[in-house]
Amino acid sequence: MTTLIKLEIVRALRNKKFLFFSVIYPAALYLLIAGGADDKPLPGMQLNMPLYYMVSMAAFGAMTAVLLGNSERIAKERESGWVRQLRLTALPGRGYVAAKIASAAVVSLPSILLVMIVAAAVKGVRLDAWQWIAIAVGTWLGSFVFAALGVAIGYLATGDAVRPISMLLFFALAFLGGLWMPMTLLPQWVQNISEWLPTHAYAALGAAVEVGTAPHVKDMAILAGYLLIFAGGAAWLYRKDTRKA
Amino acid sequence: MIMDMTTTATTTAVAGHRAGPAPVVSFQQVSKSYGAVRAVDDLNLELHPGETVALLGPNGAGKSSTLDLLLGLRTPDSGTLTLFGTTPQQAIAQGKVGAMLQSGGLMDGVKVRELVRLASDLHPRGYPVDQILATAGITEIGDRLIGKLSGGQEQRVRFALATAGANDLIVLDEPTTGMDVSARQTFWGTMREQVQQGRTVLFATHYLEEADEIADRVIVLHRGRVLADGTAAEIKARAGARRVTFDLDEPIDRTALHGLPFLTALEISGHTVRIQSQNADATVHALYGLGLYPHNLEVSGLGLEQAFIALTTASDATPATAEEAAR
Repeated sequence: MTTLIKLEIVRALRNKKFLFFSVIYPAALYLLIAGGADDKPLPGMQLNMPLYYMVSMAAFGAMTAVLLGNSERIAKERESGWVRQLRLTALPGRGYVAAKIASAAVVSLPSILLVMIVAAAVKGVRLDAWQWIAIAVGTWLGSFVFAALGVAIGYLATGDAVRPISMLLFFALAFLGGLWMPMTLLPQWVQNISEWLPTHAYAALGAAVEVGTAPHVKDMAILAGYLLIFAGGAAWLYRKDTRKA
Repeated sequence: MIMDMTTTATTTAVAGHRAGPAPVVSFQQVSKSYGAVRAVDDLNLELHPGETVALLGPNGAGKSSTLDLLLGLRTPDSGTLTLFGTTPQQAIAQGKVGAMLQSGGLMDGVKVRELVRLASDLHPRGYPVDQILATAGITEIGDRLIGKLSGGQEQRVRFALATAGANDLIVLDEPTTGMDVSARQTFWGTMREQVQQGRTVLFATHYLEEADEIADRVIVLHRGRVLADGTAAEIKARAGARRVTFDLDEPIDRTALHGLPFLTALEISGHTVRIQSQNADATVHALYGLGLYPHNLEVSGLGLEQAFIALTTASDATPATAEEAAR
């Protein structure tokens, strides 16, 4: 199982184009949105734009790399028959899912770090050491939830359907979770829904740290719950999959 | 007799109560349908240790479905299926089975050697990577990326994955597709070594000469059932596998020729008559009995290919059961 994890990581690092864009674009998007912003707090929030978007874009970038990358690659591997071949080995279902999450995590970590570096260097964001570390680690661990979701989508959909489905889910989650614009700017009913979405809990982790408190237990519980559902679902779909593929 | 038209269900041993070596594979009344299509229909089949078995059948005969069931990639609708006395999933987890799928894709973006190392590490009794590469004859392409291989090389890599550990059963679905003649010979040479180590080998193939040369048992599948089961020679004999060719001078009386005993096929072109017969001696005797004088008379054996075609078309012409006719 560790061999597969290592191999998936080597392979992710070898895919230079995917790696480059996944790492570069969240930081670029951050500069585009928050680049001209001032230090005034956002309406209804303690955070200003550079701070808020640092967490949002780190989360958004990590989510892009793991969710879109995983779902598409897995659908492709199912079509090529590699998953069938893998099922003829002693590898347990959780091994495949773990390897996919690990390879996604390798791509998401540098993209998270780059957003933070750009925020500090260009927008002069200043935080305590523990806050930097907590945000980086929290955002990175949180991305596993979306990696697992990516695996599950890769199993639910086939061929041409994968991209539209994962895109739709991805944008809906990102928007409703407040990754693109602060939640306080959205109507109340959207806020009510978003409170229970993994993306909202995900961004809230970092936001809480930026304010100077520990992440809320509720947000962590929501993320843990989603991780369990997505990873469990992915492992179950992996085992059942080849009945139809 | 092995070549009974119905399958050999009567000899099926009950697990745990048998004397001889346990069957490697056992299908007991296994069925599998996809929608309205019955891919595997009440299949009974047993493989024994050390056998080299060829699975033959036209497209859609149920070969791949049978192998999928055997490997636990699909679950049967009904019936019992065991591998080494346990479920396919367990037998695979124990590293008893190596398989090379027709549709088996390979992981891209990695090197041949890396993929082989993965297969070796995942196997409970994996062989050293260099040994696997050498056995499959891919040592020199070990550093190449999977995406840059030719079709034949890919097949060899699949073979390497199937033989990465000490398996007791090797399952191959059309293994030599995409290989040229010499690669095919090398492949079967390697396969023979595997057989000599006491392994059971089951392979599906389109190339009948492969079944003829390599297998010591040939199973003909048709519409998800076992149509014939025996040695290649037995299958040929069973199919009325004699061809009689001769020339006739006088205007040919087709009706009289049709009345010849043991005749299974008749073809007349110009003066030349080609006959297939279940019993060439009797057919030729009767031919002289008609008062005819054949020139250039030749009696020859049918290849497995013609035997195979004869078997399956005969089965198509006469629906075996009322159930089948009603379909």
